[in-house]
Amino acid sequence: MRERAPGTTSEALRRVAVSAAPASQNERTSLRPVSNHPAVLEVGDLRVSYGGVPAVDGVSLSVARGEIVGLIGPNGAGKSSVLNAITGDVRPAAGSIQFAGRDVTKLPIHRRARLGMARTSQTARVFEGLTVFESLVTFARGAEGASLTRTLLQRGRRLQEEQAAELVWEMLDRHGFAHIADLYGRELSGGQRRFVDLAMAQIRSPKLLLLDEPMVGITAAILPGLMSALREAAERSVGILMVEHALDLVAELCDRVIVMVEGRIIVSGTYEAIAEDVEVRRAYLT
Amino acid sequence: MQDFVSISLVYLGIYALSTLSLNLQYGYAGIINFGWIAFQAVGAYIAAVTSLGPASPSGFQHYILGARLAFPLPLVLGTLAGAALALVLGGLILTRRIRRDFQAIIMLIVAIIAAQVVIATVGLFNGANGLSGVPKPFNGVFHLSYHGYQWFYVGWMAVLCIVVYAGQEWLCRTSWGRALRAMREDDVLAGYAGINIQALRVVVFVLGGAIAGFSGALLVEFLGTWSPDAWSFVETFVVFVAVYVGGRGNNFGAIIGAFLVPVVIGTMPSFLPQFGYPGLTANLEWIVIALAWLIIFYLRPVGILPERRHIATRSRVSARVNATTT
Repeated sequence: MRERAPGTTSEALRRVAVSAAPASQNERTSLRPVSNHPAVLEVGDLRVSYGGVPAVDGVSLSVARGEIVGLIGPNGAGKSSVLNAITGDVRPAAGSIQFAGRDVTKLPIHRRARLGMARTSQTARVFEGLTVFESLVTFARGAEGASLTRTLLQRGRRLQEEQAAELVWEMLDRHGFAHIADLYGRELSGGQRRFVDLAMAQIRSPKLLLLDEPMVGITAAILPGLMSALREAAERSVGILMVEHALDLVAELCDRVIVMVEGRIIVSGTYEAIAEDVEVRRAYLT
Repeated sequence: MQDFVSISLVYLGIYALSTLSLNLQYGYAGIINFGWIAFQAVGAYIAAVTSLGPASPSGFQHYILGARLAFPLPLVLGTLAGAALALVLGGLILTRRIRRDFQAIIMLIVAIIAAQVVIATVGLFNGANGLSGVPKPFNGVFHLSYHGYQWFYVGWMAVLCIVVYAGQEWLCRTSWGRALRAMREDDVLAGYAGINIQALRVVVFVLGGAIAGFSGALLVEFLGTWSPDAWSFVETFVVFVAVYVGGRGNNFGAIIGAFLVPVVIGTMPSFLPQFGYPGLTANLEWIVIALAWLIIFYLRPVGILPERRHIATRSRVSARVNATTT
């Protein structure tokens, strides 16, 4: 059982870079989606800074429906900051974020989630004191389940709970995780946490999935299932923006790859194209 | 002895409501309300001034909002006062991006300042002397003896406690209660689920504030008196210890804590013979309660009755679907 760890990343990046050749200018500036579908996410000139120190410096990118986009770069490149700005975890200093045709730049996290934005976290964030079943039902019910007036007044409350429970059981059964339904988040293994994190993000059929290093802690046994789950999501027109260090997986999964270095995008295009880019080579080898 | 038992049972009822209130805010929703006592106090003051009648300028008591309202209006207004204070403070503190521990400290500071303001501003609620002579509900209706009334109030408290407990327990088992626990565990993750955390925090804070105000109104109607001495900030910690000892996130555990900490452990020193300087045995109450907290932290950090695990059961429909697919 092989655990994927961030440590494998630099090796993979090194292999890519060593075999690389200079890329054409056209490939390097290709930030538009390669898919024919309309863009579900459009980020324009995004800037994020922490205490005056810029972490993201003028990033523009887009993700189409059904497209899997990889966001790669060395540690500290600003990849997670981009994701955090898109979800509303951090406030951008400048720039705009259009999601599903709507400007969400100033919307809080929950409003973006209600519009169909979902994410996973680098550390496989789960509710430590809720069971897996409760966690998934919480996401399946979303805002409706948290409304006191609806809880007190709504007649169909029980039916909605049952429908959400059905959805959760169906997901747990499909992925062979029904046996962990009653485990608390704090009782899960690393791989199980990763599954629950991803399942919470997917259960409401989002329009956009933002994945922050989804393969970390995933065993070789689970990996094919996770990858096919992501492909299935893309086939259902879900746009996916994925921060990932494991370049072999990025190569296998992503339609397009964006490379960030020091808060900026240095190149974007197909995996084959960026693997041959001289700047990518310079960024990873120096 | 009869007096001791009936008074203790009324106090048990008051503390049960207090721990239920704090358990809702802290045990379920994760809001550390170190200013909890202020919500009970405002309920007590409003119930008192709305049943005492208008204040006379030549009288020995000076207060605002004087009125002689019929039962149960003072009780209702006391409850609403607790809720209103929670709405104002919750709106100001809980909707900001402030860390939970800082929020707790702000609430503690607000409660301390509130006590000082009440003491310094005599015209508000009669300053440090407090209010007395608050009429007791039903007292002139049933023509009960002193002991009869005490036991009547015990029964009245028991009914109210059962109603509040049952209502709160039902709410906590719904999807709303689950959302509270999700928010307690990780408010950012709950936000990813589409839950408006700021709004949920304020709503649960207002509900808890209403129960605190209700308990204060009931207490002042039983005691007939209320002064700043009755709501020093250490009272908040007694209720916190009771919630910890009973078990956070368990409503019945909160009531067990109310029985064990303020009623049993808190009154134990009063049975000791007087020794040392005057007042030493009375002050032992705080030492004993603090020790109870430390012991429960060491021996059973989850409390006597911890939050129960919510075991998922398949509905008949999903069980049927599952049976056909396996």
